[in-house]
Amino acid sequence: MYLTRFRFNTARSDARRLLSSPQSMHAAVMSSFPQILPTAAPAPRVLWRTDRNASAEVLLFLVGPFRPDLTHLVEQAGWPAAAASGTPGWQTFHYAPFLDRLDKGGTWGFRLTANPVHSVRNVDGAPTKRTAHLTPRHQVQWLLQRQEAGGFKVLPKPEDKQLTDHGDEHQVIVTDQRGMDFGKQGAKGRVTIKAVTYDGRLEVTDPDALRSLLTSGLGKAKAYGCGLMTLAPLG
Amino acid sequence: MSSVLTLRLAGPLQAWGVSARFTRRTTETAPTKSGVIGLLAAAQGLAREADLSALAVLRFAVRVDQPGRRIRDFQTAHHLDTGDSMPLSERFYLADAVFVAAVQGEPGLIADLFEAVRAPAYLPYLGRRSCPPSPPVEPAVQHDALLDQALAGEPWRAAEWYQHKRRDEATVSLSVLSEPGGDVPVGATGADSWRDQPLSFDPRHRRHALRTVVTSTVTVANPCARTPPPTRPRPTVPAHDPTGPLEGV
Repeated sequence: MYLTRFRFNTARSDARRLLSSPQSMHAAVMSSFPQILPTAAPAPRVLWRTDRNASAEVLLFLVGPFRPDLTHLVEQAGWPAAAASGTPGWQTFHYAPFLDRLDKGGTWGFRLTANPVHSVRNVDGAPTKRTAHLTPRHQVQWLLQRQEAGGFKVLPKPEDKQLTDHGDEHQVIVTDQRGMDFGKQGAKGRVTIKAVTYDGRLEVTDPDALRSLLTSGLGKAKAYGCGLMTLAPLG
Repeated sequence: MSSVLTLRLAGPLQAWGVSARFTRRTTETAPTKSGVIGLLAAAQGLAREADLSALAVLRFAVRVDQPGRRIRDFQTAHHLDTGDSMPLSERFYLADAVFVAAVQGEPGLIADLFEAVRAPAYLPYLGRRSCPPSPPVEPAVQHDALLDQALAGEPWRAAEWYQHKRRDEATVSLSVLSEPGGDVPVGATGADSWRDQPLSFDPRHRRHALRTVVTSTVTVANPCARTPPPTRPRPTVPAHDPTGPLEGV
């Protein structure tokens, strides 16, 4: 497995075109894996996420089974001249050694962009519909429901640090809620996705389950930049 | 020694004219001395032609608690009996204004006026017959007091909704229009002159003299002021670099 980081040059119009269109970004990400043909039926999972740390620091993280070649992204939306001077314009890291080192009980900071949804039935007898969780409380609840199967536990928060009486018991915050809404060729209606970003701290409870979550993603809309969780050492 | 009688002048509409003549009936932004002296004279039951000299020497001041809004009424009317149209007139009013007026004078006279306002011979009105006061004028007498101290010590009389509107201000400064204490001549620097010193309310020949008005401000507490909620630390997004523990390729 490989984890790749690429930084957008947000002053370029192509970068803005990519960042504003999850579909274009999906196409650009998938075309950076020459081994994965567009027609390949069960394609190996590729996960990606954009981190908007600042208006001029927008990063693309990519987790996939092969080494990607992001030359086309550098040319369209990066710094090609800087890349010519020896640096490739993106950084790829081996992910498997890090995953193998994950131990039960280890604590990490995590960031996850996901699409928290549940299925509701509006009318008795009607089929259920997939509906987004819209409040941070429900969105955190959605994550907590998946922590056991995912092999991790969000660390609890000391009582004197809790900002509210209910629903602030864990070290996780929801930031950067954004809606995506675009038409899709050959489909009736539009694709509407609510993506939120979780930032928090977790403890590993089941390394195997967490490894599988880190490489195969969590939740829906994985093609459109949701589901990739990354870990970083606690500062 | 002197006493001070304070009155709360509040009503849906008020109209205090100084230079209003003929069909254009304007209003000042604050009650006039002639208007308030007229209210007191009416409360005492004085006739229009009566001698005003006892009331006219009272020292007068008014505090603007709630400035209100000036509204204009274009009035058409027909005579009740003949049906002839009356002259078209423009009438200006102050809407939703609240003032505290005060008169200072000899204690015996002030006590008489206080009793008169509580049981008036003719009903009081706010500058124009069609403008009744909504709450009672709430007269109060302060003994051994001076005009400026009495007005500065009076609580803020503005409507609750108006006080609530300025809830971010713990104290508010209100302007006071008063007669200067000493012998400040008409036309002194920093002073206005208003022609509202009543000489006679005789309906056949009303007469007013010039009066010196100086503007100052007093600061009063706002009973509806709210204390700002304690600031709560906002959660900050921690920096996240997942590539730290990884090895490059």
